[in-house]
Amino acid sequence: MTESVQKLYDFIREKRHHKFRKEFPYDIAQGFADLHLSPIERMGQRFIAVMAAEGPVILEGEHIVLLRTIKALPPLFTEEEWQDIKSKHYIHEHGYVCNISPNYALTIASGLEARKKEVIACQNQCLLSEDKEGYLFLKVVASDIDALLDLADRYRNEAIRIGRLDIAAILERVPRYGATNFLEALQFFRFLHFSLWIEGEYHNTIGRFDQYLFPYLQNDLDNGTLTEEQAFDLLEEFFLSFNRDSDLYPGVQQGDNGQSLVLGGTALGRDLFNKLSEMCLRASKELHLIDPKINIRVSSLTPDRVFELGTELTKEGLGFPQYSNDDVVIPALISLGYQANDAQDYVVAACWEFIVPGKGMDIPNIAALNFPAIVDHCIHEPVIFEHFEQFLEEIKKQIFIEVNKLASDVKNLWMIPAPFMSLLMEGCIDKARDISYGCKYNNYGFHGTGISTAVDSLAAIRKYIYEDKSLSWAELLDAIDKDFAGHEELLSKLRYEAPKMGNADPKTDSLASFLLSTFADATENLHNDRGGRIRAGTGSAMYYIWHARDLGASPDGRRKGEWFSANYSPSLFARVAGPLSIVKSFARPELKRTINGGPLTMEFHSTLFQDKDSIEKVASLVRLFMKLGGHQFQLNAVNREALLDAQLHPERYGNLIVRVWGWSAYFVELNKEYQDHVIRRTEYSF
Amino acid sequence: MNYNVSPINSEMIQTQPSYTEGCIFDIKELTVHDGPGVRVTIFLKGCPLSCIWCHNPEGISPKPELMIRENGCRHCGMCLKPCNHPECQGLGRCIKICPLGLIQKSGYYISSRDLSEKILRLSDVLDSLHGGYTLSGGEPLFQPRFLFDLISFLKPHHVAIETSGFAETHIFKKAMDLADLILFDIKHMDPEAHKKGTGVDNNLIQSNLSLLISSGKPFIARIPIIPGYNDDPANMRATAQRLKEAKDNVRVELLPYNPFAGAKYPMLRRIYSGQEFDKKVPNLDPSFFDELGLETVIL
Repeated sequence: MTESVQKLYDFIREKRHHKFRKEFPYDIAQGFADLHLSPIERMGQRFIAVMAAEGPVILEGEHIVLLRTIKALPPLFTEEEWQDIKSKHYIHEHGYVCNISPNYALTIASGLEARKKEVIACQNQCLLSEDKEGYLFLKVVASDIDALLDLADRYRNEAIRIGRLDIAAILERVPRYGATNFLEALQFFRFLHFSLWIEGEYHNTIGRFDQYLFPYLQNDLDNGTLTEEQAFDLLEEFFLSFNRDSDLYPGVQQGDNGQSLVLGGTALGRDLFNKLSEMCLRASKELHLIDPKINIRVSSLTPDRVFELGTELTKEGLGFPQYSNDDVVIPALISLGYQANDAQDYVVAACWEFIVPGKGMDIPNIAALNFPAIVDHCIHEPVIFEHFEQFLEEIKKQIFIEVNKLASDVKNLWMIPAPFMSLLMEGCIDKARDISYGCKYNNYGFHGTGISTAVDSLAAIRKYIYEDKSLSWAELLDAIDKDFAGHEELLSKLRYEAPKMGNADPKTDSLASFLLSTFADATENLHNDRGGRIRAGTGSAMYYIWHARDLGASPDGRRKGEWFSANYSPSLFARVAGPLSIVKSFARPELKRTINGGPLTMEFHSTLFQDKDSIEKVASLVRLFMKLGGHQFQLNAVNREALLDAQLHPERYGNLIVRVWGWSAYFVELNKEYQDHVIRRTEYSF
Repeated sequence: MNYNVSPINSEMIQTQPSYTEGCIFDIKELTVHDGPGVRVTIFLKGCPLSCIWCHNPEGISPKPELMIRENGCRHCGMCLKPCNHPECQGLGRCIKICPLGLIQKSGYYISSRDLSEKILRLSDVLDSLHGGYTLSGGEPLFQPRFLFDLISFLKPHHVAIETSGFAETHIFKKAMDLADLILFDIKHMDPEAHKKGTGVDNNLIQSNLSLLISSGKPFIARIPIIPGYNDDPANMRATAQRLKEAKDNVRVELLPYNPFAGAKYPMLRRIYSGQEFDKKVPNLDPSFFDELGLETVIL
């Protein structure tokens, strides 16, 4: 890290930039209501007002400007209005467009002036066709562009005022005109990304940064205007910019902000990991910050070196990179109806859900199927299942019922319009339609929570009730309903002796195949009311706590309220044979049909990564999971002792980073229950 | 008996005359420091040495024994209630009831065939990652029949043996012939010091080492660096000298003393007597070996 990057780093980590922050008047909604403004007009007005209030702040030594100074965005609707909207529609999370991947590249290349011309031309089309709504939408987009250009001008004037003519020169070009070099492209990105957050969208992902920005870098290096070292310094400064305002972004916990970046990938039989990809890994490793969150797309074509570079980053304990397997994901997306070239361009959303940049208005986290709750429901049915297969039939039936119910619960979705985001999504301008109405892809995704808990529960039922006949249904139910009080020996047997998923035991693992394929079958023919499909997945998100909290004890020996494992991983208390067995158990062929996203997550003790030899071996494990047909892998280097100590002495661990469920966070900023879950996961780390 | 067997087929397994039973205390996957590639290490229980710094004390006794993680115990007392489980006989506690899973029996008897069946499930993976099986301990040569039977089942996959070298010559020879790689521990060059640190002198070990060196087979020399015990220049130099003639066949691995070595002793209700080592920093200077052209790594 150069001295100037280090200075900026310190400035931001010490939160000294917070002194520039200010509040924006809260009660603008009543005024909007009094004027009977439509939602899109409100979005436009708020954007313009907040952008106008954003002051130019240029930090000493920086080359890429833009600092968020407005803290919270004021609500768009009065409380009554919002309640009214909610009573008439299904509202996803906060109501805003979120968790998608915009196409930054097109605008970075062409510049906002050209984009605005495009908008005006389409606006004129709307006039001709008397499309009032379209006209209004485009009018808002055009004024949003003006507001951003105005902010850029104020930054430029400020740069001139303080004598930073280098910055002024950059702002002379971007974002008004297309970027002509690497630094301009980075600055342009910063303008666009910043604007999305100001508009109110969240979990604004970064996408295939190493692909769309590489031409600028290559060009600069080729014509000698930038050295690799200079480019690296700029990249580090750029990465720092993701950590400036992120505490103002909405999420379930601090750190849950969706700034995920995807590296590598394959196209036309070639692996696309390039010089910029490698620089990103190096920068992330050196900076040791939670953002951006790094993903690597790998395939059978990916050289070993990439896995090793990735493992070097894992060693740092930042909770990334996360890997996804092109060989599984791309064909799976194609069979879900994505066009081949779009599927090849896939990225991950905030956590791990597979989406298509610039074209997908998928909502991949709209609901979650609670697998252990299905098992719980079925064991409590007053029916005698003579054979285990009959019991499985019942499980299947209930999964179908539950999936259908989840699908009918998410009908009639309404989202707050997102005119600026629409500028970055394919077809919105041409069609004069806001992105909140949808895009080329409008699928919904259902997570699948507690898969291993459900598999282990079924395996225990099969073994003890139907095979060994050492346990009766009555005794099991009594134990479960009493949370194992008076059934201590059974509890111990179920927890520590019963078959578990993760031991490479084909018989137990086939139950995972059964659950996954049933989940896929149940979603197969479902459609949402936006013309999209329902995608089944293996992620848990925060449901590993939410779904588990209210669920009674389960037949795998899990006590009432005890958490599920994160995403697609062995149960938290299962003493499984080891990482190789886990990889074999979890690489199930059915993953091709449950491809909404959700990685196998594994914790390794940080001491495993000591030397080059060990790094290579751990890297080969990642490669192995992919070779066996795994879809996504998240490997974490953890130090249990440090985590326990950090709970006692948070003041000493300000920089300790952990992976939560699909994102990384500063451990001490998490609520206790999320901290405890992370610690729980490390109990059987390898 | 000829142990250069070809791949196992089910017919052979059925006609194999004896499936010796042995006692093991752990199977670990993805052991990264136990030989080439990705490996599975099997820990055989029982060791004729008792090294002061031993960090696997449950590997010393050849029999299953009780291991209790006191940390986390809520003293519910349920394990003290008499039970009728055959597995618990003679242990004075029920090992099948702890709601927190804190009580375990370390070590169990298993036939070489059952064990191999269990671990051969991973053979495809290990082959593809250029690894194999490492038989460690305890002292694997302490259960020679079991060990040799096991190897015959594991062949043709890569098999390494990690040994203290303390075994009768004919047993060591056979192990050398059967294994693809020997990981040979060298604790001290001086017989007296060796006896003090491990409970036995090193005559047998040294003569087996000579066999290994003269065989011309590649091997790994593993040297635990115990601060204040064997890391003085004189002993390091002597060790390096000893390995010099094998320099084209040996890779030297220096294993720094494990500061958590004492962690498991309380679980076995034993007292760790190596605290003196905890206060010192091991001298991990590879130069004694480097100077003689020996390939050396610090693990």
